[in-house]
Amino acid sequence: MRTAVYFCSCGTNISEKIDPERIARELGGEPTVAYVRNVEYLCSEEGKEFLEADLRENRPDRAIVAACSPRDYESAFMQCLGRAGMNPYFLQMVNIREQVAWVTPDPCQAAEKACRMIRAAVARVQLHAPLERTELDVCTDVVVIGAGPAGLKAALALAEGGRKVTVVEKTPVLGGMPMRYGDLFPNLECSPCLLEPVLAEVMHGPHAERIELLTLSEVVEVTGYYGNFTVKVQQTPRYVDVDRCIGCGYCIPPCPATTPNEFNYGLDERKAISYPFSGVLPNAPFLDLQACLRGRGEDCRLCQAACPVEGAVCFNDREKTLERQAGALVVAIGAGLYDCGALPSLGHGRIPGVYTSLEFERILADNGPTHGQVSISGGTPQSVAIMHCAGSLDPHHRPYCSGICCQYAFKFNHLLESKRPGARVLHLYKELVMPGKEAYALYQRARDNPHATFVRYGDIGDVEVSADNGQILIRYPSDSGRAAAAVDMLVLCPPVVPNEGASRLAALLDAPCDEFGFFEELNGRLAFAESKMKGIYLAGACQSPTDVQRAAGQGMAAAAGILAGLVPGRKLQVEPITAWTDEEKCSGCRLCAAVCPYKAIGFEPQRRASKVNPLLCHGCGTCVATCPAGAMQGNHFSNAQIFAEIEAILQ
Amino acid sequence: MTPSLPQTTCEGSFEPSFEPKIVAFLCNWCSYAGADKAGAAQLAYPPNVRVIRVMCSGRVDPQFVLQAFRDGADGVLILACHAGDCHYKEGNCRAIQRQQLMMRYLQAFGIAEPRCRLDFVSAGEDEMFVRVVTETVNDVKALGPLAR
Repeated sequence: MRTAVYFCSCGTNISEKIDPERIARELGGEPTVAYVRNVEYLCSEEGKEFLEADLRENRPDRAIVAACSPRDYESAFMQCLGRAGMNPYFLQMVNIREQVAWVTPDPCQAAEKACRMIRAAVARVQLHAPLERTELDVCTDVVVIGAGPAGLKAALALAEGGRKVTVVEKTPVLGGMPMRYGDLFPNLECSPCLLEPVLAEVMHGPHAERIELLTLSEVVEVTGYYGNFTVKVQQTPRYVDVDRCIGCGYCIPPCPATTPNEFNYGLDERKAISYPFSGVLPNAPFLDLQACLRGRGEDCRLCQAACPVEGAVCFNDREKTLERQAGALVVAIGAGLYDCGALPSLGHGRIPGVYTSLEFERILADNGPTHGQVSISGGTPQSVAIMHCAGSLDPHHRPYCSGICCQYAFKFNHLLESKRPGARVLHLYKELVMPGKEAYALYQRARDNPHATFVRYGDIGDVEVSADNGQILIRYPSDSGRAAAAVDMLVLCPPVVPNEGASRLAALLDAPCDEFGFFEELNGRLAFAESKMKGIYLAGACQSPTDVQRAAGQGMAAAAGILAGLVPGRKLQVEPITAWTDEEKCSGCRLCAAVCPYKAIGFEPQRRASKVNPLLCHGCGTCVATCPAGAMQGNHFSNAQIFAEIEAILQ
Repeated sequence: MTPSLPQTTCEGSFEPSFEPKIVAFLCNWCSYAGADKAGAAQLAYPPNVRVIRVMCSGRVDPQFVLQAFRDGADGVLILACHAGDCHYKEGNCRAIQRQQLMMRYLQAFGIAEPRCRLDFVSAGEDEMFVRVVTETVNDVKALGPLAR
């Protein structure tokens, strides 16, 4: 076998320490080395052209490039081999710059080390197999889970890119959490007004025909893999035909059954047939059978009788299980708030007038339980305390900062100033965090509010809240021992935490979650729109506490990844550096499947052998090292190749 | 680097110029990248270490370690990503499990740490890489050649 060795001087970066002539002399004598070439800059355009032409002319069986780290240029040199008519996997790079020339002061030692490494590469490359990329047909449709800003922006971008999108939303309405807020930080834009154009575009825009919206729906099963998922969706009956309903709301007043309104966190009640709150889309009520008299066996038809449209209220609606094919999924299920039950000393649920920030958002919202009036049972509050970091930055609760609470807390301050002029506002905080170019403005405004005070506390465990003569007494540690403040209302800002459904969905998708239960990104910095399961993309607060701006951006990022990766008419290229099973040797013990982090290894009962799905396999080789029978083989990192390398590098 | 004083050990004879051969299995994503970073920072370390790149520390088959010792290595170093940082989620955990088992067998042949060492180096830890490699070279140098 004829092996060509290309030695790159890298200007003088390498040749300064490693004498190219010595390398040529020592390796030229090796029986398998056909020739050694010295090139000044192999990675330059001229260098790559030279490599390609030289390979084409001399037609070696294998090629060694002794240069910089394979992490930098291996793929570029592999392409040169491909263009020269060689199998690209017949290349082996030797890292004589980062791992020899730059770290070995003595030129003699450097040359010796480089020679050893090149010899090992020569030994290894003899055993390289001609690997080929395989191609697979893919489905380019997408399922988006969650219809908040992240999911909807992803759906819109995908539909505009020509993809068919199914949006699966658990609640009866679109828009996600921001639909529940009156105004958004940092600019106090009206939140439903901000979202309305997005919702309108999703429902009736130029690409709406490619978007299927499934409300009251949940993903219950996902099989398959990147490019070919099958997604089962269960849809709870709405009992209102969204296409026929004209949104007049006549069905609601006659309804005799009421239930606490979960969309307002139980602060008021809603009818069994109702909107979660006014102004939602789709503009059609939903019937909650659990609250409805019909759910208890009574034949109440008052809503149907009041409806002016024939067939809009349809009691024969049934639960549906739908199946959709998708090449990729976007998880955009949002987040929730830390359960204040874990902070019992703060009095939430026990003392009237203590609210979470989400409850207070609803109180401030015009379409909320108080129609935007800040009021309590006893009248109007003259003083409101806002407790930042209620469980954040705390190893006993959540050690992280959610990054959004200070901003909405100062929004609350501003809205209180206008809704309740003269009301005292007490900000109790552990840390104040206002990142970015816009957040300071609300903070500055809060600082300028003459009725606002700012008090820093240390440990939430030392803060005690009690009911005191119709007021709320907050006792907290201060520099001069303990201090206390009596207020009419207390708003808690607990950490943002994953949604209840996150762990169930993560299990369905085989996508891992981090220690806090957020979906884990493939890489938190550079691949944050992808989960660790190929084809499962992430957007919005399901991966980290997030504001609307970032959620929308992440939705677009997920869409970009899918649009780039799954293109109609283009097959999916599958990298050949994967594991495979030698069925003859496989005993069927399935240890390989147990250690595979990607669930890429299945079992074929008839053949009694494991089978690797090359699309899911990431090529880590853990199964290869685990297999007790030597049945699992690792392409390009085979036992034989590595043994050859070990033997040669020790000579 | 200051050369450590040659020592007489139970397994090695007195060799004034003993330069141990160390085979280092580096995972592509963290420790190999950490080694590259040490190169970019031009941090010098002993040339005794002979690197074999694997995609994941989970790929390091105990047979590789045995083969290395059989083929003349005086020490073996396995460098993995830190816990929780594995590019392949948990390959480094497998490496830890295997190492624990393997050390029990190696001890039967008189091989113990630091002759066979598993450690963790991230892509950013160039100085850590140099420290671990230098320590291993010095430690094995102090032990002397592996008696076969």
